[in-house]
Amino acid sequence: MHLETFSPPTDAGFPWCDCPQCLYAPLLSTVLWFPERVVVPNRKEYPWYHRSYNRVPTIDQCYTDDPVCFFEANEQWIRDRQVDREIVNILRQRWRDCAFYEGVDAPVKCVELQKISEDAETNFFIKYGDLSAYANVKDCYMKQKHRMLWERRHGPVGTGMKTEQ
Amino acid sequence: MTVLSVLRTAAGPARLAITHNSQQVAKMSDHRAMNIIPSRFQWNKFKDMLHLYFVGAAIPLLAGIGITNMMVGPATLSEIPEGYVPREDEYYKSPITRFLVRNFTRNEQMEYEKKMQYIWETEHKRQLRLIEKRVKKLMAERGDYKAWYYTPHIARKYQRIVRKETEELMERRPAA
Repeated sequence: MHLETFSPPTDAGFPWCDCPQCLYAPLLSTVLWFPERVVVPNRKEYPWYHRSYNRVPTIDQCYTDDPVCFFEANEQWIRDRQVDREIVNILRQRWRDCAFYEGVDAPVKCVELQKISEDAETNFFIKYGDLSAYANVKDCYMKQKHRMLWERRHGPVGTGMKTEQ
Repeated sequence: MTVLSVLRTAAGPARLAITHNSQQVAKMSDHRAMNIIPSRFQWNKFKDMLHLYFVGAAIPLLAGIGITNMMVGPATLSEIPEGYVPREDEYYKSPITRFLVRNFTRNEQMEYEKKMQYIWETEHKRQLRLIEKRVKKLMAERGDYKAWYYTPHIARKYQRIVRKETEELMERRPAA
């Protein structure tokens, strides 16, 4: 909580919210005086951590009759899916921020970010898309298997099915 | 119910003005007269409930939370040091959450491993039961093992006597 982290609204969409730095800074320092000078120095800093999970064998390394291995692989897959969701979200948000900033120039200036975001979404859909809400890691694995079978019979995805000949 | 006594004495004159200045008066026995005024029940009840929910609940909780945040403050995110296993409550930021996790909630890792143990145990039992079922089925099919479908003949001598007497009875019967 420092004075430098707060910037005044100089070009908000609403003219009555605009405030020049010369008026904003004294107001902010008045408000921040109590927490910065009185409260924070009188309390101790102590840490908190993000939970770190060990990697366990994935579903393709589990025997079919091993439910404990399946359970652990499933939990890991759920965590990985959440991470992938957040990644796609972040990439999408970067593109959207660029588009919001550029406004009318977005289709020209934000092309790289758009491509990155759309590639990420495509890959996410290849891996996790069209599985139901109750999907588990086995469904995802079988989806991959079926896609590889289809590709073996018909060629890469997107080139259409071959008729029997 | 009870209102802060300061407010009550301050509102005394206003209350008298409200209840004694109405136009309608019912003349009752002797010197008494009842002033007929509209009901103030809902307003009084509202004030009572507002007082309860603020003084009884909102203000203590907010004061507690505010004092905790000012005295103790939230934690700072940091890297886990090498070779250190954090306590369960060190995975949370707010001191109140940490208190609850430390004293009231279950350990997440312990519950995970308990679940795995349960899965292993039930799978073990399931496999044993499958084997039992298969063995029983084979014994029924082949009939070569004494365990399940064997009825021992324990009354053989009585069988023999009954059979002999039945034969003699059938011999003595006139041909039907």
